[in-house]
Amino acid sequence: MSLNIFICGVGGQGLVLLTTVIGNACAKSGIKVVTGEMYGLSQRSGAVSVHLRIGKDAFSPLIPYGEADILLSLEAIETLRYLEYLKKDGIVLMNKRIMHPPIETSKLITEKDSKYVTVEDIVYKLKEWTQNIAVVDALTLAKESGNARTENTVFLGCLSALDAFKVKEKDIRESISEAVPKKTIEQNLKAFDLGKQSAHGSLCTLVPCRPLP
Amino acid sequence: MVLKDILSKEKKAAFMLGNEAIVRGALEADVKVVAFYPGAPTSEVLDTFSDALSNFDYQMEITTNEKVALEVCAGAAFAGVRSLTAMKSVGTNVASDTLFVLGYTGVKGGLVIVMADDPHAHSSQSEQDGRFFGPNAYIPMLEPSSPQEAKDMVKKAFEISERHRVPVIIRTVTRVNHQSGIVQIGELNRGEFKKVKWKELNEEYTTLGEVARRKKLKMLERTAKLAEEFDQSEFNFTKQADSDVGIVTSSVSYLHVLEALRMLKLQNKVNLLKLGTTYPLPKNTIKNFIKNLKKVVVVEELSPYLEKELCGIAKEANPDLAIFGKKTGDFSEAWEYNPNVAAKGIASALGLEYTVTEAMVEEAKKFKETIPARYPTFCAGCPHRGTFVALNQALKIQVAKGQEHYFSNDIGCYSMWIYPPISRGDSSLCMGASVGVANGLSHVIEERAVAVVGDSTFFHAAIPALVNAVHNGNKFTMLILDNSVTAMTGQQYNPSTEFTAGGRQGKKISIEGICKAIGVEFVEVVDSYDVKGNVEVFRKALDYDGLAVVVCRRECALYGDRNKRRRGEKIVPFYVDKDVCKRPYVCLRTFYCPAYELDEDRQPRISPELCDGCSVCSRLCPIQSVKRTEVKA
Repeated sequence: MSLNIFICGVGGQGLVLLTTVIGNACAKSGIKVVTGEMYGLSQRSGAVSVHLRIGKDAFSPLIPYGEADILLSLEAIETLRYLEYLKKDGIVLMNKRIMHPPIETSKLITEKDSKYVTVEDIVYKLKEWTQNIAVVDALTLAKESGNARTENTVFLGCLSALDAFKVKEKDIRESISEAVPKKTIEQNLKAFDLGKQSAHGSLCTLVPCRPLP
Repeated sequence: MVLKDILSKEKKAAFMLGNEAIVRGALEADVKVVAFYPGAPTSEVLDTFSDALSNFDYQMEITTNEKVALEVCAGAAFAGVRSLTAMKSVGTNVASDTLFVLGYTGVKGGLVIVMADDPHAHSSQSEQDGRFFGPNAYIPMLEPSSPQEAKDMVKKAFEISERHRVPVIIRTVTRVNHQSGIVQIGELNRGEFKKVKWKELNEEYTTLGEVARRKKLKMLERTAKLAEEFDQSEFNFTKQADSDVGIVTSSVSYLHVLEALRMLKLQNKVNLLKLGTTYPLPKNTIKNFIKNLKKVVVVEELSPYLEKELCGIAKEANPDLAIFGKKTGDFSEAWEYNPNVAAKGIASALGLEYTVTEAMVEEAKKFKETIPARYPTFCAGCPHRGTFVALNQALKIQVAKGQEHYFSNDIGCYSMWIYPPISRGDSSLCMGASVGVANGLSHVIEERAVAVVGDSTFFHAAIPALVNAVHNGNKFTMLILDNSVTAMTGQQYNPSTEFTAGGRQGKKISIEGICKAIGVEFVEVVDSYDVKGNVEVFRKALDYDGLAVVVCRRECALYGDRNKRRRGEKIVPFYVDKDVCKRPYVCLRTFYCPAYELDEDRQPRISPELCDGCSVCSRLCPIQSVKRTEVKA
């Protein structure tokens, strides 16, 4: 069996680094992994997505529709953009943070009745697809770690709590230390721990998790 | 990947991006000269070679364009030295003049050309199928499906290149370049870099007229030999099953097919031929595969390249064979494939039930309708945003005065001007074409043409068109947006900076110096952030009765921020002072910066995490409500 994780977010949030850390950790753990990464236009603020497939039964770099076990979304709006990939009753691991695209904001000033999409709206819609939704306040946790740019590592902490995520924690920690800038290793490891703890307060009430040591 | 995997001397398993695996394969083959112009999806080949440069003795250039890159490699290969270049699909068009001739002249040292097509036009202007370069230029072509194959094929390509004295194309697609996976890396035994005595080699690489005719015959002989050799290649393999149905595929489509067969519960129930050498095709391998089959399904992205060849081979080997693919309507020539597209096509060809694709996509559609689109846009702090705000204001004033315009855009971050909420642009074709097109327009339209190019695009392909404009006295306005680096592909160095590959010292070349030297009489240089001042300069350039060039200079925000972080400088964000702001929304209406949003009271606020501190919005605010955050000492 393979574990399929569809990761999405906004350019600049560190999706590719997150993928690299997980992939390197898989290599250390001796686990097969394949990814398909979508970026290319280098600018910030565009939609970015990664197909991450762990386990020996995954062939294609792209997850077939309806076969993602987890939809990991570093920005709340983006969650709804890729639902065709998520299994019915799959897990949504979603950031509380919304980064409103300029086009949405410019609509707000030209149309008086127009409103921003909210996290509540998104969760409400998502419930038509799955009940397994965890909303993570990753920016607050990242700031708590001492570096607001570690949201991606907070989510890695959340993932590592899951029973289905078989990559060894030791390998993930090592992989974080090798991939992030030296000055930020401590902050990233802290962000990882904060993410893991937060999962035990939310996600783990919905799906099987590894016990905390 | 981490750099240490690229540098590792030992065999091991490493997690690598397709592009990184290409670099590792070349290093294992002891490549000595590499040259590139960046282009998605190949840019990480350049970046990885650049990051690793200080650890090795290879020569590396970030060249002005793909043609020059290929020529740098050809020069090395003529002297018997192994070389590699990588380019995106449309970059091959630029290099093709040289490519076709190399088929005739041949090479001595191994020359490998990585050519990355971009089905779906993720980051390109077209879905060009570069496989036709192989047969058209008589240059052998290998197609990997995964990072592992990419590494293995690059290494092997050097041997093939030297054995047959011909360059070898490694043809990839975005989903191979940007696919990561576990790669078994081999040993790294690097030889010492040594200069060669040309006279002692006794080589010649000319071709013209009678010489070309002679070399054409040799080229045909070489291709026949390669076809025979490829019949034995480990890169073509079959998976046999007890069935009279077969699937022929190559590239990443092979991986989609494996997934599709699992989804259709056809694993080990149909025969499979995976082709890795797609020019010249291994005809005997294909003949043997199809001779006892009743049906064959061809799964390949873009043009029916394999399908047409297969039809020809089947005419001889198995005339009754039913061939399914694009001609039968089971697959499309448009857009990239995925496991679902492969499953749907195979099911349709074989008369099986498969409905997942439409059902899932259709169901998910109604969720997407509730969220705003997220178009690519200029980063917070991007100098282009300031340039375009000023240009828009200048154009508006000119229109009021009775002068209208044609907006000729080009390839770079500034291409994004075509996306909402701006949606401006009359044409954008390919590298440098904005200036070429403006030449022609200046003869035939009543409006004033405005051409826009970046610094890297200027050096790449715009200079000949500009020389042409001066020589012929053509009248238009040209903006050169100089942000110091080739920003869109990942901020690589170009002649606009004093750096080159690996951060080494290079000679900086003056854009305005070139313009003046070739005789442009109106040349102004401005700071892209000075919006108010630039409106006037742009107006002058639009009014000028002749060719007017404005160089808009300010470094790329991502490049600048990275440099600031390296120097330990803080990026200080701005904020909107609520007590001052009267909400005229000038910031939002004109500037569209992604760092801006509205709070619950519809009060503009700046996200401190996203703000780059560029200050341009504060200069635009008519009531000075945007202020720099005070930093405690």
